[in-house]
Amino acid sequence: MTSALLRALRIARRFGEVEALAPTDFELLPGESVALVGPNGAGKSTLLAILAGALEPSEGSVESHARIGWVPQRPAHYSRLSARENLELFARLEGEREPARRARELLERFSLPAGERPSGELSVGNRQRLNVALSLLGDPRVLLLDEPTAALDPGQRRRVWEVVTALRGKGGAICFATQNLEEVGHADRVIVLQDGRVTGSSVDEVFA
Amino acid sequence: MNTVLLLLQKDLRVLRRSPVILGALVAYPIVIALLVGLVAGYASAKPRVAFVDEDHLPNVVAVGGHRFHIQKVVDGVAKQVTLVRLSPGEAARELADGKVVATITVPQGFLGDLQTTVRSPSLILQTGSGGLSPRVTQQVQSLVYQLNGKLQAGYISANLVFVRLLLHGGQGNFLGRHFNVLGLERTQSELAKLPPSKRVAAIEHFVRVARAGLAQTGAALRATANPITLRQAKTHGRTWLLSAQVQSYGIALTVTFLALLLAAGAAAAEHDEGTIGRLRRGLVSLTELVWAKVALAAVVGLALGAAIAIVFGIVVEAGGITGGEPWSRLPLLLAGVVLAAAVTGAAGTLLGALAREARTASLLAVLVVLPVVFLGLVPRGALAFAYWVSLFLPFAHAFRLFDAALYSTHPWHTVAIEAAWLLGLGLAFGGLARRVVRTLSE
Repeated sequence: MTSALLRALRIARRFGEVEALAPTDFELLPGESVALVGPNGAGKSTLLAILAGALEPSEGSVESHARIGWVPQRPAHYSRLSARENLELFARLEGEREPARRARELLERFSLPAGERPSGELSVGNRQRLNVALSLLGDPRVLLLDEPTAALDPGQRRRVWEVVTALRGKGGAICFATQNLEEVGHADRVIVLQDGRVTGSSVDEVFA
Repeated sequence: MNTVLLLLQKDLRVLRRSPVILGALVAYPIVIALLVGLVAGYASAKPRVAFVDEDHLPNVVAVGGHRFHIQKVVDGVAKQVTLVRLSPGEAARELADGKVVATITVPQGFLGDLQTTVRSPSLILQTGSGGLSPRVTQQVQSLVYQLNGKLQAGYISANLVFVRLLLHGGQGNFLGRHFNVLGLERTQSELAKLPPSKRVAAIEHFVRVARAGLAQTGAALRATANPITLRQAKTHGRTWLLSAQVQSYGIALTVTFLALLLAAGAAAAEHDEGTIGRLRRGLVSLTELVWAKVALAAVVGLALGAAIAIVFGIVVEAGGITGGEPWSRLPLLLAGVVLAAAVTGAAGTLLGALAREARTASLLAVLVVLPVVFLGLVPRGALAFAYWVSLFLPFAHAFRLFDAALYSTHPWHTVAIEAAWLLGLGLAFGGLARRVVRTLSE
């Protein structure tokens, strides 16, 4: 039996009176690609944020046996720092041995501008690619991606998926939220969420 | 620790890239400190006091053979208060409205009592219930003291006219009657013309003793009227603007304002930028995050506090001000600045976490900082409630610590007490900030 890289037991989250996520179990195995689908407000982002450790669950627990990279839905970086400075800073925080070299490498791989222009002034596509690039710092085995290609053109989408799916070949795993039916094709397994509850594993249930 | 330094470097870099905001953050509190200080200094130095003349004093009053111009006397002695002539009704209304802080009434019969000297005339002082009352009472007591001084001088001068007449002789008048006095000097001359005898010698001896004694009368009268006089030596002292209090106040206000705003803005910005989620994924603990914002406030507060102290010191030295700038106390002052800025930074981090958004946090910080500062400036005697509230805010402690660190002869007791207060407040604000920062990633 293959042990899970990431396992969540009965995780739930309430924001005041609102139940964003009902108690949910989740497991991610090595080499696996899981798609979270569902309408807006279904609880996809909440589930991913809890799995990533960015949000505390109101109940339940998460067990992680691998480094996790997280691409939040909204680009999360310091807008007054350049793309390089953001990458270097988070590389240091992730404990990368050669933060400057790693930042250069990711700038190149994602075709990001290497100048000193503040990242807040970059195009939406560049900001989203920076968002994805930041998630690869620290060499994670698990990637959690929240609509990672929402603001990208087809060419950029393809490049992001190439980078992301390459992780599976190295024994890693990915879990991504999407509302794009074409992207569901990148997944081996689908989890459908509605009103904070897992309602099935068929895309047709949501988008029919 | 390395994580805190990385976040601190990041925040300083972000701050450096916002020169307009940085400039405003530095200039605004300094301007506010000067303006508030000027207004507060002026208001407390010259409170408005009503002057009610129920005795209808004439423009010129003759007392003890001396003529006093009432307005000149009032102007001369009213350096500490602004006296406004009002009717009894107006004075009562303005006192009730707080437009004047006190009324001085010259009751009917005042001048008659003064001129006959049968009994001491009274001025009536009525103060409001505001915080300035004790101060105004002191100032009016000082005014009466000075009036008495002028009247004493008048009475003494009038008495000395008769003494001089006794000494030197000449024409005199008393109660409208004119008379001629021989005087001791001329008596001595007349005695010298008489044939020497035992009786003449005895009279000559008496005249010599009397002349010597009366010659001292003026000084003796003045001495008994004013057993102790206060002589003011002129020195090259500090103007109000260069006073120790203004320096401490300026640094405390600037550091409080800057630390609160910076920490609040920086904490809320982590939420605005969405980076709090990334950081919380095991990269940075909540404690480290709070420490990073506290460190930002402390570093920038230190830089600005040091700059203000050095500029102030250079101006004081260049002006040749007595006492100069206490440069040897600068390290103690700067240690206090770091502590005060850090504690205020913890409060700012709490504020930023509560506001969740940088713009709201900045607005909230501006709204909060002025009451915090003013509460710290209200004297204990004026409004006890304000004093007790200010004890639980950093500004008043910072101000007292800076003041003691710079100018107190024995600063350690005050410095230790205020530093202990600041440490306690810092722990409380930091603990609360850590709890609230947790919610920023939601």
